Amino acid sequence: MCDVRSLSVLIVLLFALAPVSAQWLHYPTTGIPRTAGGKANPSAPTPKTPDGKPDFSGIWQGTDDKYFRDLGAGGAEIPMLPWAEKLYKERKENLEKGHPSERCLGHGVTDYDTQVSLRKFVQTPTLIAILFEGYNHYRQIFMDGRPLPKPTQPSYLGYSIGRWDGDTLVVDTNGLNDQGWLDMEGHPQTENTRITERFRRREFGHIDLQLTVEDPAAYTRPWSTNVHLVYVPDEELMESICENEKDLPHMVGK
Amino acid sequence: MKAILLVATVVVPLTAQWFHYPTPGIPRTPDGKPDLSAPAPKTRDGKPDLSGVWDTEGTKYFFNLAADGVEAPMLPEAAALYQQRLAQLQKGHPSERCIGHGPTDYETLPEPRRFVQTPAMIAILYESYNHYRQVFLDGRRLPPVTQPAYMGYSIGHWEGDTLVVETAGLDARGWLDMNGHPQTETTHITERYRRRDFGHMDLQLIIEDRNAYSKPWGVKLVLTYFADEDMIENVCENEKDYSHLVVHGKNSK
Repeated sequence: MCDVRSLSVLIVLLFALAPVSAQWLHYPTTGIPRTAGGKANPSAPTPKTPDGKPDFSGIWQGTDDKYFRDLGAGGAEIPMLPWAEKLYKERKENLEKGHPSERCLGHGVTDYDTQVSLRKFVQTPTLIAILFEGYNHYRQIFMDGRPLPKPTQPSYLGYSIGRWDGDTLVVDTNGLNDQGWLDMEGHPQTENTRITERFRRREFGHIDLQLTVEDPAAYTRPWSTNVHLVYVPDEELMESICENEKDLPHMVGK
Repeated sequence: MKAILLVATVVVPLTAQWFHYPTPGIPRTPDGKPDLSAPAPKTRDGKPDLSGVWDTEGTKYFFNLAADGVEAPMLPEAAALYQQRLAQLQKGHPSERCIGHGPTDYETLPEPRRFVQTPAMIAILYESYNHYRQVFLDGRRLPPVTQPAYMGYSIGHWEGDTLVVETAGLDARGWLDMNGHPQTETTHITERYRRRDFGHMDLQLIIEDRNAYSKPWGVKLVLTYFADEDMIENVCENEKDYSHLVVHGKNSK
């Protein structure tokens, strides 16, 4: 049992993390603060855009895979309703078999956010695009003041709007589908799930990210997890396209 | 019949959009419609601003980059591979395994794509497959090809009002179009984008590859601004379409 589980986890990790291993070319990132030795200076002040907002542009990555596996790994209590807890246990006991990523569908907001692999923020005043190395997928965050729509097309990444709360970028997402999982272990999401991300770039090299999940259909109250992103200088995103059927036959269930 | 199945696979996402939110800040006629003939907007540093959602009409170039009488001067080996792919009704295209497309077939695909423009790079976000491309504008050179990729590696520069994008580092397994014009790891693609007015962008695609074609060749097409709309998520779920694809001709006997 233990061996099977380890193997399954290893396989999941392999295809979740494979893209990190090689990079296109090490082109020095232009215009970033560096120390006297030429290394990027993570403790330099947070850069600003021409209109005075914190500038999140650049390549970032997560620091600890444990949140990708389980959003409650840092000690956050996840107050599931009975049906959600039952589904979560089934998924966890089935060694995470059935996660959308095994069918090349990729991830959703919370698991892309917590994944260790690279992602690039492309920031403009009216739109922030997040380009994920994983699956070559992207997200759009609309900054032009539009409201969240009435969800008519539930999707894995939902629909996201952002606003500034002082120096914090606050992103609200709805319109998620109920086929996505919040993490690899399978905390459920539904079409009612609403995610709030609070991004604060506290210095050049670090973003504090608070993820809050609200869904009265699955959880008794809103709950949060805090993670960190670190700046990745002098690297670039690799193409990482999921080719179907290569991994699926190797996935081992209970 | 078989071709219809494949068309259904690639064109499905066009049918529904998230919601019709009026694109803020675009020029409009007195009746409130987008004014597609207004001047092309500029960025704060004076470059043409290509930002926004764009689309193209018709699938002829998507299926055949040499439509309209353009000659694709294939070398014999490339011509043989092309004929083989045509004869098999395009079975084997990477899109049937959810791998998506490359620069030429994403650009000619009649589905929305958004240009997100900053001074140092442009990201092109495709509705199809939820895939993106990066075009670096920061003066870097094309790298030695160490990691061939379906999208390759793209750098861009401005020639007057025209954005010139050079792409190398392509994967030999990609196809330039659905019919199967070959690409190799030495294929070099040049895209010339000129936003001639608010609503229209001329795009010239030039293919160079001395290992597959006897001389450079390409096509010209027009992208139109897609106002008041947005992309919807379109992830490719494997095996849903693949099992419906039919091999025709001698392989099926």
